[in-house]
Amino acid sequence: MRKYIPFAFKNSLRNKRRTILTIASISVSLFLLGVLIAVYHAFYFRAAPPEQALRLVMRNRVSLTFSIPEYYEPKIRQIPGVKEVVSRSWFGGIYIDNRPEYFFPRFGTDPERIFKVYPEMTIDPEQLKAFQSERTAAAIGKTLAEKQNLRLGQKITLKGDIYPVDLELTIRAIFEGTADSSDNVMYFHRKYVEEGLVNARKGLVGTFAILAESAEAVPRIAREADEMFRNSDRQTKTDSERAFQLSFVSMLGNVKVFLLSICGAVVFTILLVSANTMAMSVRERIKEIGVLRTLGFTTDKVLAMIIAEAVIIAMLGGLLGCLMAFAVVQVLGSSLQVMFGTLRMPPVVLLISLGVAFAIGLLSSVIPAYNASRVPITDALRHLG
Amino acid sequence: MNNNFIIETKSLTKEYKRDEFRIMALHQASIQIEKGEFLALMGPSGSGKSTLLHLIAAIDRPSSGEVTVLGQNLQALSDKEIARWRNEHVGFVFQTFNLIPVLTARENVELPLLLTHLSKKERIDHAETALKLVGLGDRMGHYPRQLSGGQEQRVAIARAIVTDPALILADEPTGDLDSQSANEVLTILSKLNKEQNKTVVMVTHDPHAAKFASKIRHLEKGELLPKGVLPQV
Ligand SMILES: Nc1ncnc2c1ncn2[C@@H]1O[C@H](COP(=O)(O)OP(=O)(O)OP(=O)(O)O)[C@@H](O)[C@H]1O
Ligand SMILES: [Mg+2]
Repeated sequence: MRKYIPFAFKNSLRNKRRTILTIASISVSLFLLGVLIAVYHAFYFRAAPPEQALRLVMRNRVSLTFSIPEYYEPKIRQIPGVKEVVSRSWFGGIYIDNRPEYFFPRFGTDPERIFKVYPEMTIDPEQLKAFQSERTAAAIGKTLAEKQNLRLGQKITLKGDIYPVDLELTIRAIFEGTADSSDNVMYFHRKYVEEGLVNARKGLVGTFAILAESAEAVPRIAREADEMFRNSDRQTKTDSERAFQLSFVSMLGNVKVFLLSICGAVVFTILLVSANTMAMSVRERIKEIGVLRTLGFTTDKVLAMIIAEAVIIAMLGGLLGCLMAFAVVQVLGSSLQVMFGTLRMPPVVLLISLGVAFAIGLLSSVIPAYNASRVPITDALRHLG
Repeated sequence: MNNNFIIETKSLTKEYKRDEFRIMALHQASIQIEKGEFLALMGPSGSGKSTLLHLIAAIDRPSSGEVTVLGQNLQALSDKEIARWRNEHVGFVFQTFNLIPVLTARENVELPLLLTHLSKKERIDHAETALKLVGLGDRMGHYPRQLSGGQEQRVAIARAIVTDPALILADEPTGDLDSQSANEVLTILSKLNKEQNKTVVMVTHDPHAAKFASKIRHLEKGELLPKGVLPQV
């Protein structure tokens, strides 16, 4: 088959404008597809740090926007296999102004425990002590420090919105996470937030992060924890951290179905476009196919050559699209935060895209190629055009 | 069977069915062609010349009757075997040259060799030898659109002989050519016939072209006229 490839390649250059347009449309769709798959991949397949397998998140059964009582904490701690528990309450608020570049996740938490539950975050012991001992101290991740250009000792103000309090914070610690941008976050004392609250709003937290002793214990802890609060007025839902993050994503609507259906639509459209182009280009060549068969080419060889040509075109488009997607993700990746990290283009995404390009080439040409290769030679030779 | 006959047909009949029409393209044609002959098939348009040539080349299958070429009964072969057989034993030349426009002269001539086990180098050697034989040694890298009609037809002849087939079948090879190019093409065919002992069967309208042949047979309305008989005008 290899020796027919140059011929198939030259055939693909026969109508240069059409080939270029086909390659362009395939590459644009595969660019889109590549980015979509990368987003999908970032949501559902990103490699988690090993600690993540040990962590659970407990939230209010109704929704993430409802809180749960602080006094659950000692009870959770009693469940066998639980190593550490810490609360995290989403503060929201406004830093500088409402523009998205000033948005980052901020949590009120327990400074004594937060880094025990997140041991993959490395923090200087001196800084940790400083963070723990000062009521208005804040600890920020390195990514956040770099992005917002924040330094140790700097004072910042967060205007409350969910909570009717303004926080005057001093940055006392900068920690570093292992996974991409997992440290684009700020922590401060929950007690400091509570100071400004009316009594009715005190004693509530957003979620509990629970560190288990072993990964095997995780499902059991989840079950027992939810069972424990089944009869209380604030029931809970406890998931592995991974599952929790995905449920967070699903607040945006059914992202999975949405992403997959756009991908499907893109692929289907480009398949129809290429099939039409291939049918046209094959029809113009019926006579030549008759000539090839007169020279001794079998129907199978003719079939294979036409398909090879379509696959070459589709793969060129696919390659180009992947390169574009790769470049765009490289350049914009770090600013395109997809909930839990930087958007990137892992090899598997490129592989899937190229696989789709291959399938488009194959599927778009197989029917016209099959039909053309089986036109009786005498009819093919009489074919005009 | 006489071993001198390279082509032998018996009561060869081809009927085309198109919708409710039936066209008797060839009726009961029996012909014997000897090895080394240069036969011209003549006859008016629609008389079945191409049909007979196609049946001999196994491009088409007869409705009834038998064709034996080089001792091979063609009906006995599968489509795949026929393709291979044609590649090895038959060189076909068309009226409209039918070169592949995206390939150079050399690549066009190399095309039938792709089906053989020859190496790339051998294929190129063979293709170049064939092109030199038709006097186009200096045009190997040219594309068909850069060649004159006569040159294109010579490339097509080179393509037909590159696998060294015993049989050359040409369907009005000079039909689209001016008289000088036609002469060149006919001279090449007759050289191949005389010097390399190729059997040539050529369909033609042109009495001048037929003069290059050693024998002439006439067809009329799908019937092969007996030897020496000319169609009534
Ligand atoms: N593939 C086909 N389908 C239907 N009819 C055909 C086909 N091939 C040939 N015919 C018919 O069979 C008859 C003989 O055709 P053929 O091509 O053999 O004639 P010819 O002698 O070569 O004519 P010309 O000099 O015009 O090439 C014609 O009436 C033609 O229309
Ligand atoms: Mg004809």
